[in-house]
Amino acid sequence: MPGIDRRLIQNFEWTTFALVAFLGAVGVLNLVSASPEQTPGMPGTALRQLAWLGVGFCALLAGLLPDYRRLERLALPFYALCVVLLVAVLFVGPVINGSQRWIVMGPARMQPSELTKIAVLVLFARLLSRRASVADMTFGELALPGVLLALPVVLVLRQPDLGTALVIALIAGSFLLLARVRASFVVWMAGASAVAASLAWMFYLRDYQKERLLTFLDPDRDPLGTAYHAIQSQIAVGAGGLFGEGFLRGSQSQLDFLPEQQTDFVFSVLAEEWGFVGAGLVLCVYVALMLRGLLIARASKDVFGCGIALGVVALLFWSGAINVGMVLGVLPVVGVPLPFLSAGGSALVTNMLGVGLLMNISMRRYLF
Amino acid sequence: MTQLSGSGSAPDAYFERRIVVAMLVVVAVWAALVGRLFYLQVVEGDRYSQSAERNSVRSRRLIATRGMIFDRNGKILVDSRPSFDVLVVPNETTDLDASIDRIAGLTGRPVEELRRRVGSPTGRARFQAQPVARDLDRASLARVEARLWALPGVLTQVAPIRDYRQGADASHLLGWLGEISPGQLASERGQGYRRGDVVGKGGIERLLDLDLRGRDGGQNVLVDAHGRELERWNAVEPQPGHNVVLMLDLRLQTVAERAFEAIGKNGALVALDPRNGEVLALMSRPGFDPNLFARGIEQQEWAELRDSPAKPLHDRVIKGMYPPGSTYKVVTALAGLETGAVTPEDTVKCYGSYRLGRRRYRCWKRGGHGEVDLHRALVESCDVYFYQLGQKVGVETLAYYARALGLGSPTGIEVAGEMAGLVPTAAWKRRRFGQDWLAGETLSLAIGQGFNLWTPLQLANSYAAIANGGTRWRPRVLNRVETAQGEVVSETEPEARGTVAVSEESLAILQRALRGAVHEPHGTGAALRRLPVEAAGKTGTAQVVGVAATDDVDDEDLAERLRDHAWFAAWAPAVDPRIVVAVLVEHGGHGGSAAAPIARDVMAEFFAAEAEAESSPPPPPDDGEEEPLHARN
Repeated sequence: MPGIDRRLIQNFEWTTFALVAFLGAVGVLNLVSASPEQTPGMPGTALRQLAWLGVGFCALLAGLLPDYRRLERLALPFYALCVVLLVAVLFVGPVINGSQRWIVMGPARMQPSELTKIAVLVLFARLLSRRASVADMTFGELALPGVLLALPVVLVLRQPDLGTALVIALIAGSFLLLARVRASFVVWMAGASAVAASLAWMFYLRDYQKERLLTFLDPDRDPLGTAYHAIQSQIAVGAGGLFGEGFLRGSQSQLDFLPEQQTDFVFSVLAEEWGFVGAGLVLCVYVALMLRGLLIARASKDVFGCGIALGVVALLFWSGAINVGMVLGVLPVVGVPLPFLSAGGSALVTNMLGVGLLMNISMRRYLF
Repeated sequence: MTQLSGSGSAPDAYFERRIVVAMLVVVAVWAALVGRLFYLQVVEGDRYSQSAERNSVRSRRLIATRGMIFDRNGKILVDSRPSFDVLVVPNETTDLDASIDRIAGLTGRPVEELRRRVGSPTGRARFQAQPVARDLDRASLARVEARLWALPGVLTQVAPIRDYRQGADASHLLGWLGEISPGQLASERGQGYRRGDVVGKGGIERLLDLDLRGRDGGQNVLVDAHGRELERWNAVEPQPGHNVVLMLDLRLQTVAERAFEAIGKNGALVALDPRNGEVLALMSRPGFDPNLFARGIEQQEWAELRDSPAKPLHDRVIKGMYPPGSTYKVVTALAGLETGAVTPEDTVKCYGSYRLGRRRYRCWKRGGHGEVDLHRALVESCDVYFYQLGQKVGVETLAYYARALGLGSPTGIEVAGEMAGLVPTAAWKRRRFGQDWLAGETLSLAIGQGFNLWTPLQLANSYAAIANGGTRWRPRVLNRVETAQGEVVSETEPEARGTVAVSEESLAILQRALRGAVHEPHGTGAALRRLPVEAAGKTGTAQVVGVAATDDVDDEDLAERLRDHAWFAAWAPAVDPRIVVAVLVEHGGHGGSAAAPIARDVMAEFFAAEAEAESSPPPPPDDGEEEPLHARN
């Protein structure tokens, strides 16, 4: 058993740690404001998030202490475990708000689909590192990753949880950037599936079927069937102005506002209360975190580490971009939480674990 | 498998280039998001932010018009018509109580009622428009609108209100509306419900709520300190709900309701098409007026409905369970014929009573029926014949054939809350009471008294199965769902739930006997003789309290609430029937005198309508030509 190398402490990844600690703190603070009506006697959402943040830092440590290269051997079993949990949740998971996403363990609930994000990115990093050839990938070589991706995605869709399924697929898709796949091939594939989907949408499905399909895929979908959520969200964001209305003073947030203002629409609370200055700063911190992650990927001494780092950045990138795009009214309303800011333990722990892996890779780049 | 050293392949220049690409993508996308944030907050920010004038942006829902409900001929049963409402946003008033007083004065509504409706809102409700008075006449509305300038926080709107055209008729079937309960909100999340939504609470309104409700729209409005709207934008038009067409025939339903009204009794009535299970009429009385709920029911009105001894909210036709009385004798007869315990030729002598052990079981006819075979026993409803037959076949066999006819389990009608009824067996009694089955109880059972319970709908459906040769159709109230433009969204199909596994011959014997009960001398269903076609039917009298068959009591001596329930189940024409009617008159006395005339009236209307349809083209359906209503203006 190798002890903790002194160089590890010397090379501690302070930048990433500081950025994440900042986002975590902003998240808890923002939830204090986003929960104006707490049931007396219940632990507040913010307090619960603080507790989860503590668990998250443990996950971060867990992600950074053991040498990440050991993970390569664990990639497949880890993936298999997640798939088993995803199957199990469909059988034993309680139906909450119309979908089965959680496995209940005592007082805590855990979403296997969140952990699956990490499992998929680790597995794909391993697939990437195992391919020694520098030749372009053939169609046959893409079949196995395709199947390995489709399995959890379909299971998550069954819950149903469109947002998480989408993010898992996008994380895996991001690996095309590092795989030696001809660009024309990617374009061809994306084009073909887009055409097939839109043809089905236009000619095969009737309006009410589309409606039911959409509602089936995503029960949190905009209940008015209008841009109502998005409009509400934009009003709140817009009301923030340049400097915001001040902490705990966002009036739109207290009015007839979104039911998901602690989760999917938490960013609009932040934007209303802290204005462009505050919300812009938080977005910049995200960019800094992701760029730092990509630098770690570039500096990594092996393909496996490079892949993991890219995967973690992809996880933050897709969740963040989809969520913020939705809040700002440029993307449709899909239930994807904002990393570190949305209330929810499983997502927080998953993201912290991912960041732990990033730090792990960064700190070990000198060790071999 | 993989070894640590195996993963040592180092990223090459290719990877490095690709990582740079990823960085560019991240920066580009995030720059776009920051740009959008800048646009919303700084460029467009003034429009949203609350300026010195305390203008505020509200997002208002444009309520979709709820779909209409039609009968099978296109007659409107339920409509949505415009209602002029006054609302108040408590936070924007200077003095909430004073504002309500003014509104009461202007509209002539009692001030206490308006106060109760608004209550004392707290939290978010203070910022939301609360309805004060609904459904104003135009003059009252004009008076309020003329003084809006002096009433900050008060606004008017035109919103659709539900209009149940038939008042209390078919109220249990149609259902009513009310604010969504926290429980439903939690259990049906994902269906698009929001707190404060008005949803269907019973019957068709509940069953097809998602089809009927349509999709609400939304709109942003900029409001100044006086509650005046300065600007509107981003309107998303609401989409009206689907219309629902029922199998119900309003003409039959109306005849049934008026017939019960005329005799001043409570009860239930079902009319079915025995060829496919279509429900032509479905009545439970007393009903309630769903319009009360549409305009917002008062606490006191609700209490009256809930606590009335007549139980108007209780849907007797699918939830009311009653002993079947002599209508049950078809089960006993079927059990006898199928098991061979009796042949059509076997006769029994009825001297007015039957002795088992030391007890005497009376026939309803004190002088006795003399020598009767199965046919005569059904025609004249001889109790003694069925006492001995029941004793012969036993309780388990009776239960078997009762179940074969669909008794003891729900018929499967679409609306929620149907009861299963009860088919007793010895095992059931031991489980329920811990006692052994007594031989005498089989006798009571054989003539439809005792523990037997069935709903009026079950009676109708089992008789439909006898009449049509053994098919148990699922009763269907729903015909089709259409879009507001008339495009069919979904349509129901006849659904056979099972067949009665008995010989055609046995069914034919029953059919002939029940025809005899109407048309032969001494038949109990003679009331149906004057129909334009031959009919078949069976009367029944269900004992209400422990007036056992051994007691010697005359109905006329009994107080109203202790009098027997009257049953009648019938079909017509006697051969190849097109309609089955089951009637229950609570405390009506004898089935033949109380219930059969009502069945006759409904059938007469049915055949009259048929004849009209053949001689002239169908009347044009009501057209809902009013403009779709929005909660605007």
